Amino acid sequence: METSPRPRVAALALAVGIVLADSSIVVLALPEIYRELDTSVAGVTWVLISFNLVMALAAVPAALLARRVGPGRAAAVGLAVFAGAGLACGLADELSTLIAARCVQAVGGALAVTAALELLPATVGSERRAATVWATAGATGAALGPAVGGLLTELVSWQSIFLIQVPISLAAAVPILAVAKHEAATGVIEPELRETGRPHLWANLALAMVSASIAAALFLLVLLLIEGWRLSPIEAALVVSVMPLAAILSSKLGELVADARSRAAAGAILVSGGLAGLAFLPKATILLTIPPQILVGIGLALVLSALTETALGGRAPQAIHGGWTISSRHAGVVIGLLILTPIFTADINQQRDQAIEAGTAVILDSPVNPLLKLDLAARVSEQLEKEKGKVPTIEPAFEPKPSDPVQRAEVDQLQGELQDQLDRGATHAFSTSFLLAALLGLFALFPIALSRRVDL
Amino acid sequence: MSGEGRLGGTALIVVSVVASLLLVGAYLAAGGSSYEPKQVQDPCQPRPWSNPQSLGQIANQFTISALDGAACQLGVSRETLAQGLATPEARERFTEQYDITDEKLAKAIRAGLVRAVDDAEEAGALSPLLAAPLRQAVQQIPLDQAIEIINDAQGFLGDVEGFLGPAGDLLEQLLPGPGLFG
Repeated sequence: METSPRPRVAALALAVGIVLADSSIVVLALPEIYRELDTSVAGVTWVLISFNLVMALAAVPAALLARRVGPGRAAAVGLAVFAGAGLACGLADELSTLIAARCVQAVGGALAVTAALELLPATVGSERRAATVWATAGATGAALGPAVGGLLTELVSWQSIFLIQVPISLAAAVPILAVAKHEAATGVIEPELRETGRPHLWANLALAMVSASIAAALFLLVLLLIEGWRLSPIEAALVVSVMPLAAILSSKLGELVADARSRAAAGAILVSGGLAGLAFLPKATILLTIPPQILVGIGLALVLSALTETALGGRAPQAIHGGWTISSRHAGVVIGLLILTPIFTADINQQRDQAIEAGTAVILDSPVNPLLKLDLAARVSEQLEKEKGKVPTIEPAFEPKPSDPVQRAEVDQLQGELQDQLDRGATHAFSTSFLLAALLGLFALFPIALSRRVDL
Repeated sequence: MSGEGRLGGTALIVVSVVASLLLVGAYLAAGGSSYEPKQVQDPCQPRPWSNPQSLGQIANQFTISALDGAACQLGVSRETLAQGLATPEARERFTEQYDITDEKLAKAIRAGLVRAVDDAEEAGALSPLLAAPLRQAVQQIPLDQAIEIINDAQGFLGDVEGFLGPAGDLLEQLLPGPGLFG
């Protein structure tokens, strides 16, 4: 292999990061996608679920294939497929096309990520170092995904999230092509496929549960911010970037503690604690989401790396066991979304109806001129009907404002009270889902406790 | 495994538990689990008038009483009815959702208007001289006009005052007591 290790390590880390970012990168774009493609909240979650489901199913077969055809060729082909499918995603004008392209993207991604783990030990010098680089790149990608996706959606379009992946994936493939050429020239050494060893059951199970919890944290928080509190994608991206920032800043924390099981347990507790904090937000205020996000961010940095290291530790070949961790993580995301989507969708509708009734009571009980307040109730009703199935925006119902300053002040106060009812209702609508996600994180403590103690 | 590692691991877990409990405790103490949407009042329960002074205030209370009375008859909340009467489209959705015929709706709204007249009279906001014919009148009016009265009670009461005002002055001279509007 002719290329120097450093660009190759960077390329492999980039490949892993961009593929694993894809499991969450569309989170902030989902509201935009479902408006543009005229679908439902439940329908659009399949843009997220399909990718994660196919990743979960394809990761281990992809690892086996990578060992058979050669990891260099597998990674290069995987990245090319990932890029091509990304282009198709960006050009999709129907939900079904987008979901189909996402499935293909996941197949390419699974091939690239598992092959990268097979290539990394030879590039960085040791399997342990390779596992650390691979897990860190994956965790960073997954954590940064939503913020990057939100920025692109706001600044360009949701399509740009996929289109920008095309040149990046191809750029990551360039240094790997040298390895592929080398494999083609020298032939692939037939791998010893039978000596894969059993996957680490408890670590992978814990990984699935924690991933379900973390995916829920990202997905629910983004929906709360955009659909509940009506933030723009760029504003929501800034808010949720607290989580990856906390994860990156605390990544060295894990190095202070040798015992992977303790790190995993502490991480799971912090993720659950943060989610419980989000479930009990006292007010609909961005500032109050920051402390829970910090806990989730630190928790995910600790738990994902510790569990990945435990699952890979002392096992060979790395690609197959890496495949199992990818499979577990993405299966966890799918399970989390499938469990929580119907719950929070039903809660949003219920809270919306209650908030609307409470808001109408606020209007009717107000001292505003009865003609004006019934007109307002009518306009609010029309606005709500327009936004059926979503958390409503009521500003248009209060426009134009009365010219009389006294009436205008009364209407402004009414709008504030009604908005407060809707905001609190929307915030409360997410509580059960956040709590369930927190419980999923706590349940991960059982497999973590049962996993073999590993010092890394 | 080193002793240092084990100690560090336990400390990390303890710190994580404490941090999580502190956050959740602080949010709960700040009212994080206390959200209850504003409860809507049972429309069948009396809703006392709060001493209205102007025509606008009387109209306000009149509208609320009429909505309460009609909602009570229909077995829905006052808020649901107000939204259901907001526009023709809203009315169609409302009657379909609650399986209410136009006849049933008209009967309920007339009953609501009667309750509004009763409440206004009881609160001293409407003279008995005006309340009696008004009560009779609202029991006969068609559905659309009944809804119009709820939607524009001030206009309706203003018209009544304008129309009956001179007669009221005469009646007040002959029969000393409160005026048309209390």
